[in-house]
Amino acid sequence: MSEESPADQEVHEVGDSLQSMNIAHDASPEKLKIDILLKPTGNAPIMKKKKWTVDSDKKIGWIIEFIRKYLKLESNEKLFLYVNQTFAPAPDQLVKNLYDCYSTEGKLVLHYCKTQAWG
Amino acid sequence: MANDREILREIWEGKLPICFRLDSEEVADVREPDPFYLMVPRLSYFPLVTDKVKRHFVKYVDSEKSEQEMWLEYNGQPLKWHYPIGVLFDLLFDKDEILPWNITVHLDKFPDAEIFRFSNKDMVESYFMSCLKEADVLKHRGQIAGSMQKKDHNQLWLGLQNDKFDQFWAVNRKLMETTNDTEYFKYIPFRCYLENGYKQKLVKPVGDNGSKRTLQDLLNEMFPDQPEVQIKTHGLIPPLDTPLQWLSEHLSYPDNFLHLCVV
Repeated sequence: MSEESPADQEVHEVGDSLQSMNIAHDASPEKLKIDILLKPTGNAPIMKKKKWTVDSDKKIGWIIEFIRKYLKLESNEKLFLYVNQTFAPAPDQLVKNLYDCYSTEGKLVLHYCKTQAWG
Repeated sequence: MANDREILREIWEGKLPICFRLDSEEVADVREPDPFYLMVPRLSYFPLVTDKVKRHFVKYVDSEKSEQEMWLEYNGQPLKWHYPIGVLFDLLFDKDEILPWNITVHLDKFPDAEIFRFSNKDMVESYFMSCLKEADVLKHRGQIAGSMQKKDHNQLWLGLQNDKFDQFWAVNRKLMETTNDTEYFKYIPFRCYLENGYKQKLVKPVGDNGSKRTLQDLLNEMFPDQPEVQIKTHGLIPPLDTPLQWLSEHLSYPDNFLHLCVV
């Protein structure tokens, strides 16, 4: 683990920024955290770490950007995100709303893919 | 399902008078363009009704900007194209103003940080269909929308786009039915709008004791600390004792969601 390529480093940084954001908000009780599980579909590459904890006021667009960075997608590559393997939430939808309506066993499962999968 | 068809039609026919004006700083012509007046359906989306608006103003801006994406603003706030027009109005229109609704048109400096772009009408369609599927997940575990054919989806979309009530409702009727010998949806698809976004939760139309739950019950659940909260939809304030199932069947927008603006 002594050597890290710059790309690995970048992934860690993205991860760290996600974690540190949680820690930073620990003090305020109304900031809830939500467990999400990211699953690939179709030809999408898998993510080494699938389970993440995010602030509940994060938007879906932010999660899409996060996955794009993690997977190092080119700017012309698309990324779609689905709930319940049925519908694609709007980028400004809050993670909390989706969690409140569609979580199972305390987690919100989101499927991602590089082509439109459902509808 | 809906026995009160009259109400469905009244809601469908709700329109708003809008006066569009090009932002004066973007006028590159010696002449000031005339304002553009339009009656628009409350249930529609701005990208579906503003082609004419763009055509009217495009000749007055710098030619290099004429291909840029148009965006709309009211009271300093960019309008989200993916909210139905009636929702934007109920949410934003200043009570001290009188109609028409004065909206500023821009073809420059798209506010990417605040609203997102729509490259074409297909994007509006795909967002609309996605909402409809989400609503069906809540009502029927997604079984009805999931078993529909592409032509049914097209008919819903074309019905909305072309303002054809019968065409739309011939298919939407199926989405508004209840299944499995019950008179109720599993959950009520709704969004409660506050100033900076909306809230969604799982709310059932029927209580554990079998009684009909009402708008008051929904609001108690969404805003437990605010007993006085009221909501507006389609420009009206529904009585708090309205049953949720009836509300969902009759006052939902075409995307099958109730859009409730906190006033």
